[in-house]
Amino acid sequence: MSTALRDLIANPNAAELELIARYGMLPEDARRERAFEAFAKGGLPHRRVEGWHWSDFKASLPVIETPAQPGTAQDPLPADDAVLFSFTPTGFTWAESLPEGIRVLAKPEAQAFGASEDMPLGALAAALAGGKTKPGTLMIEVTGQDLPRLHFRFSGAGEANFARVQIIVRPGAKLAVSESYLGGAGFTASLMEFSLQAGAECSRTVYQRTGKAEVLAATAAVQLDEGADYRQTTLAFGGKLTRLETRLTHQETGAKATLNAAYLCADGHHADITTEVRHGAPSCVTRQLTKGAVLDGGRGVYQGKFFVPRNVGQKTDADMQHNALLLEEGAEVFAKPELEIYADNVECAHGNTSGALDANQMFYMRQRGIAEEEARALLTEAFIAEALEEAGELEDVLRVQARAWLAR
Amino acid sequence: MLKIENLTATVGEAEEAKQIINGLTLEVPAGEVHAIMGPNGAGKSTLSYVLTGRSGYEVTGGSVTLNGEDILSMEPEERAAKGMFLSFQYPVEIPGVPVMTFVRTAMNSQRKLRGEDEISAPDFIKKSREIAKQLKLDAEMLKRPVNVGFSGGEKKRLEIYQMMMLEPNFLILDETDSGLDIDALKTVAEGVNAMRSPERGMLVITHYQRLLDYIKPDKVHVLSAGRIIKTGGADLAHRLEAEGYEGVVGEAV
Repeated sequence: MSTALRDLIANPNAAELELIARYGMLPEDARRERAFEAFAKGGLPHRRVEGWHWSDFKASLPVIETPAQPGTAQDPLPADDAVLFSFTPTGFTWAESLPEGIRVLAKPEAQAFGASEDMPLGALAAALAGGKTKPGTLMIEVTGQDLPRLHFRFSGAGEANFARVQIIVRPGAKLAVSESYLGGAGFTASLMEFSLQAGAECSRTVYQRTGKAEVLAATAAVQLDEGADYRQTTLAFGGKLTRLETRLTHQETGAKATLNAAYLCADGHHADITTEVRHGAPSCVTRQLTKGAVLDGGRGVYQGKFFVPRNVGQKTDADMQHNALLLEEGAEVFAKPELEIYADNVECAHGNTSGALDANQMFYMRQRGIAEEEARALLTEAFIAEALEEAGELEDVLRVQARAWLAR
Repeated sequence: MLKIENLTATVGEAEEAKQIINGLTLEVPAGEVHAIMGPNGAGKSTLSYVLTGRSGYEVTGGSVTLNGEDILSMEPEERAAKGMFLSFQYPVEIPGVPVMTFVRTAMNSQRKLRGEDEISAPDFIKKSREIAKQLKLDAEMLKRPVNVGFSGGEKKRLEIYQMMMLEPNFLILDETDSGLDIDALKTVAEGVNAMRSPERGMLVITHYQRLLDYIKPDKVHVLSAGRIIKTGGADLAHRLEAEGYEGVVGEAV
């Protein structure tokens, strides 16, 4: 490794040195370089960096190695009727026969990533996606309406899995996207970019389940044009450290976004749900509901921010709710809801609660003969269910997964 | 059937614990309905929670057996599986869990604890339909989350619906008449009376005699300061109504 490359990150740990080495092996590319520099400026984000206080990647990722006991979860999201794109640490496969209305371009080189400074791990994914077997950028253009779902699967044992996907939904087009993050790699970083043009619709479902050894940063950057409608539903079980981050910008009038998520964390699992929504145009709507339930030794992190600038954010209608259940002593939930509003004619609300299950409800159920564990599972499922209601045809699949986890 | 002997119990944690049940002795044989009446604070609701095993209510002495089995060492759900049913004074709302799901889960959990097979879906639905009709319950109501948005009367009728679905051996009705208008009271009483059988016992806890006009007790006990201070026939309820607790309690002391 050349000295110049090595100096890119100050005081690098072994994982960061490995990331530099991987970057050094990729073909030279000015846009890739800019993305890597944006990451390298701070290196792996750590507790002293704003927005990363509760999710310290530098501490959780001292080295990049294949997990000794990787999560072996099957993908519960059905792919039979979907167009499947599969990213593994060593390769990339996809159907290659596509219906009309979907165009796919697997480009070897990186594309410019504008907001790289705000999303260091998204920038890292942009910089390290690619190589001999994988696309630098997977570009997808959607023009149709009655299309099969696009399913992205991130799995397979190995050291690291990087991917970058850009999806452009043309005016009036309709698309359903799903992603499964199943672990296997010691470190997975993805960057999913969605650009919804005027009147376009997109529903995105994210399922994340890995073993206790995996570290994941799945970053999504979403831009909405006039009247676009974006609906996102996440179900996360955490891992050693997992962060599902969404940065969404309403950039034209009348766009609508729904960002729902549920997290369920058992012992040794850390799930971070972070979102930032910028109301960069008037009369846009955001609905956000996040529900979590955590067991002893589990850790949930929720960070949500609405940013409404003075000149452009008038008539914003935005609501943010986060409710967490601490199912046992020793469960941890950290929440930071933020409203940063400069426009004066807006409706913005937020709520944030955390607590234990209701003792009255528990006793009532047990009095009717429902065993304590089952009562707890039933109440918890009911508690998080609302956050999965917008997942359309995948709602039932997510419910089944949540129920199975609760029944353990 | 249900035998309570010299029961003492406290409510609250550690140093805050307060003795509410003070040496209560009572026996309800199978096939009989007994009423417990008493002024506010006598320990009526506490007794129902102690019998059903609610946490925070600690038994400090005495014994309770159901058909000869010690129930005090059992978890609430085990007591339920043995046939103990408490109709709550304030039925609890459970958002997100539909009534049918709830009752079917309860029924199958009880069956599992007893080592029985689960009820089939068609059998469950058939039974539910018949009972709902009897209680004048709207089928739509059974699809809604348990007690959420129900009126006081609807909640009490739903308690009786659950009771009739689960077919317990021993029923405890805690202030079942509170919040009911006369028509709802009649419907509820009809449901309870339909449950009377030679194998089943009932304890009807009430503040007023009104409910006992519709559910005729075999015996009436007066509870005061955590003990039974007087026992009589159905007419005792009328005397309490006429003379007030003070008169009767005063007479006993």
